[in-house]
Amino acid sequence: MRKLYSIGLIRGLLWQILGTAIGIGILTGIRILLHLPAWKAESAFVLGALLGALFFVYGIGAVDDWIKVAGGKEVHEPDESSWGSMRYFGVSLDHKVVGIQYLVLSLVLMVVGGSFAMTFRTELANTGMQFLTLMEYNTLMSLHGMVMIIGILVGVGAFMNYLIPMMIGARDMAFPRLNAFSFWLAVPASIILLSSMALGGFDTGWTGYPPLSARAPIGIQMFFLGVSLAGMGTILSSLNIITTALRMRARGMTGFRLPIFVWGALATSLISLTATQLIGLSFQMVMFQRLFGMGFFDPAKGGNPILFQHLFWFYSHPAVYVFVLPGLGIISELLPVFARKPLYGYKWVALSSFGIALIGFLVWGHHMFASGMAQYLRVPFMYSTLLVAVPTGVKFFSWLGTLWRGKIVFPVPMLFVLAGIIVFLLGGLTGPPNATVATDLHLTDTYFIVGHFHDTMFGGYVFPFFAAIYYWFPKMTGRRMNETLGKIHFWLMAPAFIVLSSMMMRTGLLGMRRRIADYDPTLNITNDHRVMTVAGFLVALGILVFIINAFWSRRNGEIATGNIWNSRSPEWQVPSPMPVHNYDKPFEVVGEPYDYGLPGSVYVKFMEEE
Amino acid sequence: MEHPSKSSTLQLGIFVLGALAVLTAVEFTIALTVNIWQVLAVIPMIKAGLVFYYYMHIYRLFQADTEVDRESFAYKLATNRMGLWLFLISDSFIFGGLMISRINLLGLTRPDLIQVLGLVVTSVLLISSFFANRAEVSMEYGDHKQFILSTTLTMSLGILFLVGVLGVEWRLAPFGPETNLAGAVFYVMTGFHAFHVLTGVIFLAIVLRNGLRGLYTAEKHWAVEASVVYWHFVDVVWFFFYPALYLIGTLAK
Repeated sequence: MRKLYSIGLIRGLLWQILGTAIGIGILTGIRILLHLPAWKAESAFVLGALLGALFFVYGIGAVDDWIKVAGGKEVHEPDESSWGSMRYFGVSLDHKVVGIQYLVLSLVLMVVGGSFAMTFRTELANTGMQFLTLMEYNTLMSLHGMVMIIGILVGVGAFMNYLIPMMIGARDMAFPRLNAFSFWLAVPASIILLSSMALGGFDTGWTGYPPLSARAPIGIQMFFLGVSLAGMGTILSSLNIITTALRMRARGMTGFRLPIFVWGALATSLISLTATQLIGLSFQMVMFQRLFGMGFFDPAKGGNPILFQHLFWFYSHPAVYVFVLPGLGIISELLPVFARKPLYGYKWVALSSFGIALIGFLVWGHHMFASGMAQYLRVPFMYSTLLVAVPTGVKFFSWLGTLWRGKIVFPVPMLFVLAGIIVFLLGGLTGPPNATVATDLHLTDTYFIVGHFHDTMFGGYVFPFFAAIYYWFPKMTGRRMNETLGKIHFWLMAPAFIVLSSMMMRTGLLGMRRRIADYDPTLNITNDHRVMTVAGFLVALGILVFIINAFWSRRNGEIATGNIWNSRSPEWQVPSPMPVHNYDKPFEVVGEPYDYGLPGSVYVKFMEEE
Repeated sequence: MEHPSKSSTLQLGIFVLGALAVLTAVEFTIALTVNIWQVLAVIPMIKAGLVFYYYMHIYRLFQADTEVDRESFAYKLATNRMGLWLFLISDSFIFGGLMISRINLLGLTRPDLIQVLGLVVTSVLLISSFFANRAEVSMEYGDHKQFILSTTLTMSLGILFLVGVLGVEWRLAPFGPETNLAGAVFYVMTGFHAFHVLTGVIFLAIVLRNGLRGLYTAEKHWAVEASVVYWHFVDVVWFFFYPALYLIGTLAK
């Protein structure tokens, strides 16, 4: 029993249950003292969930050191090298452990969110309602969106945490305790988000627009609270990333010698540092509207529902760049390795990430062309949106230039990189019709948007994400993943996904509306839906193969401790897996990062002991 | 870093406080007489600029020396400063979002609040910022006695502000959060701000307790600097919220 309690995660969960109970108890107690009816479910569950999350981070020990500092005691970093695999189940200050924790949480969330999608995808295989009620369908559909988004945010955090200190030659993140704290905040946040299913669910879609969200079941409060807490974690994590990348670089690593992935991560962190506050605020305002009767978004009280959409999209549009910029960075990082050529137009690619991020702040209104916002705003938002194509085009141009006449090899990571480029191109090309007001008024809220969005997410995040796992798995474990299983995963997933998203767009043009549980048989799209369902299950099967591969290879994979990809990046110049504080000897950057194939060029030079 | 003499820092602190007080008085007078919202929007920016530079020492961010040893205190201090300021930038977006909501929902109207009380709590917070500055400067000169006194005063004034807003204004306001839009905006803006004041008071209390035990020295007092900079930031937020809630526009129905 005591042994079980010593595992951080178990302790945290027990404390979360305790905190939830205390929160519900406090609220009920106050209501009894005030002679109100004792039980008010909504307020009780909100306070309970909030306290539960705070108790979780306390229980697991993520704030122990801060409490000690506040109490005037000295804190020391524990020596983690003897902890073994238990490091992964509790608070660890090593950025590599935190990165892998993020990675596992991300995979868990995405499997959960994906299984939601499979469930309602099966429901859609035929017209009429098969086995779900309308409310169940709506809840699964809404949660699929938000669970996947949190999963992607966590996955982005995984690679930023794992790679950046290694790539820039730092011992660790700038604020290791804050790093652990931001990760452990995401765990109770995910639990709260998923608990919305048990509290009546909600039927608003992942956007949670009022007035509908103002009268949805209590589940919506858990949704709002979970997302707010997870958002807080990403804010703190991006603060950490920016500080680390600006302050902890190795000697000689000037701005234009940074790995492209770090540039992408900086642009990403800039967005999540600032804009995330506004989605948190918009969600909290709806929470307050429901709890205290405030009339922000209630037209009957003079409120303005459109205001919510502005606040919401000010984050939620740049958020898609948060999802894709690190992924595009991984593509730029891996292409030169497998094409054995210098990255084409390094400076332009580096700056294009910031271009995308900055323009991304000015385009949110394109989600609201049909919302009833002031008409004169539509045209500037249309042009600013189309402008995003310019820096994105720079990236595509660079990728083509890098591939051009390269000595390309095709191990599994490269396959995923190439699929990522193709699928992201499909997603990019289907964007301008949605950005153009005239066509968007026809396409808005159809499956065309769904297809476009899934293309950008898979191309910009999912495929590069898998490429990165296959690529850096040896760095994490010292063993490489099985190539054959990896190729099966790829050939199951990539073609099926392209069929799936193309069919989404086709049915959208034929009149399939998004977010609805049923469709008219006379639209003649039933067969298309069946194809989509089959394709969806093939994608899921591919991911199952991947999970089996990861578990199997962790113990039995081919041993790979050296520089198996012939990379120039500093983390591959030392044996895998890395020790607790990364490099035994510091290194100095003496050349350009991506000069693959140029004879005699050196990127990093390790300093000898004096 | 060359240090100006101790008395000159006191003079500077008083001068900044005076300038802030004059600007607040100007704000108040303009609001009661001509009520030009453009002026009422610009004055807080000037006030914020003064505090950013003279009280929060924003220029220290750009003095970070990259050549010193990575493990040295000076290098870590500069890193911590950057982290704190990034946090403040992030936090200012939530207050910016509240301001935008207020502008969108209320426009050129304002909630029906007690003007005198508004001026009093604003002055309390201004003066607390002065003492926060004194606390930090005293610590820089190793004057523990002055530091303890100033921190205690800052905290007390902060608590007084909370009593003024939560204890008096919230109770006396002729509307509740559910009555009308003005009420909703007023409670959410003051609520968010008061939460930050409360965390600032707690932060200062921790610093005061550790200061009493003599944990800070003239050279090493990052916690003091951080709590004081955070306190000034909360004050700057109020510079914008005060005219937005009390001064700009006509009374909302």
